[in-house]
Amino acid sequence: MNTRKLIVILAAFVLALPLLATKLQVVTTYPYIAGLVEHVGGERVTVHALAGGQWDPHTIMAKPSFIAKLRRADLLVINGAQLEIGWLPPLLSQANNPKVNVGSRGMMDLSRSVKLIDVPDSVSRAHGDIHPDGNPHYYLDPHNMLPLAEAIAAKLCELDGPGSTIYRKNLSDFQSKWKAKLAEWEKRLAGLKDALVIEYHKNYDYLLRRYGLRLLGTVELLPGIPPTSKHIQELEGKITESKVRFILQDIYNSDEASRHLAAKHGVPMIKLPHDVGAVREAEGVFSMFDEIVRRLTHE
Amino acid sequence: MKLIFLPIILITGILAAPVRLHGQESTGNPFAQAKFVPDISLILDSSFVIRDLDDEWFTSLWLPGFSHAGTEDRAAELNETNVEKGFNLNYAELSLASVVDPYFDLFAVFHLSNEGFAIEEAYFTTRRLPAGLQVRGGKFLSQFGRVNGQHAHYWDFASAPLIQSAFFGGGGMGELGARLSWVAPLDVYLQLAVEVLQGDNGMSFGRGGFELPGVSVDDVQAPGLVIATAKSSFDAGNLTVLAGLSNASGRARLSPDLEDKNSTMAFAGTSKVFGADLTLKYLFDSVRYLSLQTEVMSRSTRGDRYDLDAVDGWLGREQRGRQAGMYTQVVARLTKRLRLGARLDLIWKNDVRCAGIRQDLPENLARYTAMGEWNPTEFSRLRLQYTFDRSRHAQVYGIWQREPVHELALQVNITIGAHGAHAF
Repeated sequence: MNTRKLIVILAAFVLALPLLATKLQVVTTYPYIAGLVEHVGGERVTVHALAGGQWDPHTIMAKPSFIAKLRRADLLVINGAQLEIGWLPPLLSQANNPKVNVGSRGMMDLSRSVKLIDVPDSVSRAHGDIHPDGNPHYYLDPHNMLPLAEAIAAKLCELDGPGSTIYRKNLSDFQSKWKAKLAEWEKRLAGLKDALVIEYHKNYDYLLRRYGLRLLGTVELLPGIPPTSKHIQELEGKITESKVRFILQDIYNSDEASRHLAAKHGVPMIKLPHDVGAVREAEGVFSMFDEIVRRLTHE
Repeated sequence: MKLIFLPIILITGILAAPVRLHGQESTGNPFAQAKFVPDISLILDSSFVIRDLDDEWFTSLWLPGFSHAGTEDRAAELNETNVEKGFNLNYAELSLASVVDPYFDLFAVFHLSNEGFAIEEAYFTTRRLPAGLQVRGGKFLSQFGRVNGQHAHYWDFASAPLIQSAFFGGGGMGELGARLSWVAPLDVYLQLAVEVLQGDNGMSFGRGGFELPGVSVDDVQAPGLVIATAKSSFDAGNLTVLAGLSNASGRARLSPDLEDKNSTMAFAGTSKVFGADLTLKYLFDSVRYLSLQTEVMSRSTRGDRYDLDAVDGWLGREQRGRQAGMYTQVVARLTKRLRLGARLDLIWKNDVRCAGIRQDLPENLARYTAMGEWNPTEFSRLRLQYTFDRSRHAQVYGIWQREPVHELALQVNITIGAHGAHAF
């Protein structure tokens, strides 16, 4: 009798084991996506971002440990617009996970949920390392976080139906908090309307466009191509002709040229986070934009 | 009555024609397939070589005891690239890749050169197998060790590691066969794989039988080679560690060319190659890294060896060989465009015994390589490489003599087309 009871209990335990691991395993390419998934997925999902926020998102080192993460994923959420083209495809083909292969339900491309800007009419690498689908740094417009969160919620509901009510509630919580923040950021950045700026790489175009800042030029010669002295001279000519408010520099490219321009022309250089984790203060999607706004307004 | 209709038909026809043409233009070719064109890329590998030996002498040099000295162009087995002094077109590599259907992907890599057309790889992989499994089938580079699975333009140096060339040839071990791989469902990366291959790699294996006076050796029934690999990796902060173990076990054959009086050796037996590799890569930031990579390989061969004696004709003896070597390389990426690297190759063991008697073969075959790279973008690369090679030997009056080689190579790699992603 006792043995039988024990066997039943053991069997029930063994059968229940998979239920313990019912949390949806989500892998994202970049930390900001993991941030969004955490807000929408809450307790029902476990999220892991492959790339660290401190790295150049274009050239992430394709570590074999990423394959292990992809192998066990139920859902892979990527930025898309070819930002991952240089590192993700071989990892995915080695992960042997049909759930997250291209074309599967568990592979989600966020760039499909927003409108991309700067889609080139013609594509040639003579223009540098361009993105044929448009500028992929769309997530630096905080307004784009709303459709992204919605798309993530829809995907989580699709893959994990029983959690739908929770996901929808998490989404609406996120939306109302985010909308309040959008209003706050709008107010704080209002003074920067029509300000002329220079940026190192075309990282912040969506942000500039949203708040009416105008881009005078980039420090790098072409996307992915470092500046030449001739290019810097031309840029200096533009700076002396017009009043440039600041130079935006990301944290991963060399800031040598930007510092030179800043020192010579008395234009402040501002280092902006490009992702969650890029700077200490950008711990999540909310604090990342708080920090961007803080740095832009407290030169 | 009918005559009235004719002009009407003609006029309506003329009026309708441009409309129809216009309609066709706006909808395009209804059978257009352009969107199904696979990812295509072309990679040029070209070089300029300065060497202190003339080409004929250089290509006659060999690593004693490492392959079966036939009369074929020996350097062609050791080096597939940068062979001639002056300009070399090593290859133009055409690669095609695409998803086939929900079940398969297809990859093909062709090398076009002045020597002709070579299928480097042409294989399918599965997309839908459960439990972390994947099957690959066709012709592909074996994932034995660290370097063998990489195409030449992914190498950190212009030449393959010496021990790799010595055991598998300059082109590496690329064979017809199938691979089953499994990725473990763990936090740590662990991949186990088994490859069953045809076994045609002439440097360590081979299938063709032969007939000598009084001796008849059958062909090896294919597949004649089995390779098992285990690879694992973990991260510790900004340091990534990748380690692997590989074992290749197969049948070996060396057929003599009876027409050629210099072809004086034949072999039939088995060959086993064991390899261990370790890579440490430390990232300082998005651009700079320092990597240390090392591989150790050992080979044991066993079988019957036949030598042509001027007096007695073909003599058969038992042969046992134990050979081992390694390389260690350090590569630093200093800026987005600049990489520097140094490599030490060493074959320290060259113990071949015929009927229990150790052959007089040189050991401590070393090679020193240093390179500097300038990468204007990830699509173009200039590499300057200096090599001091103390591994090659010439046979002078039956005695092996070391022939040091100094070589300077300027190599250019240019890629167009689909964006190749860089493996670790």
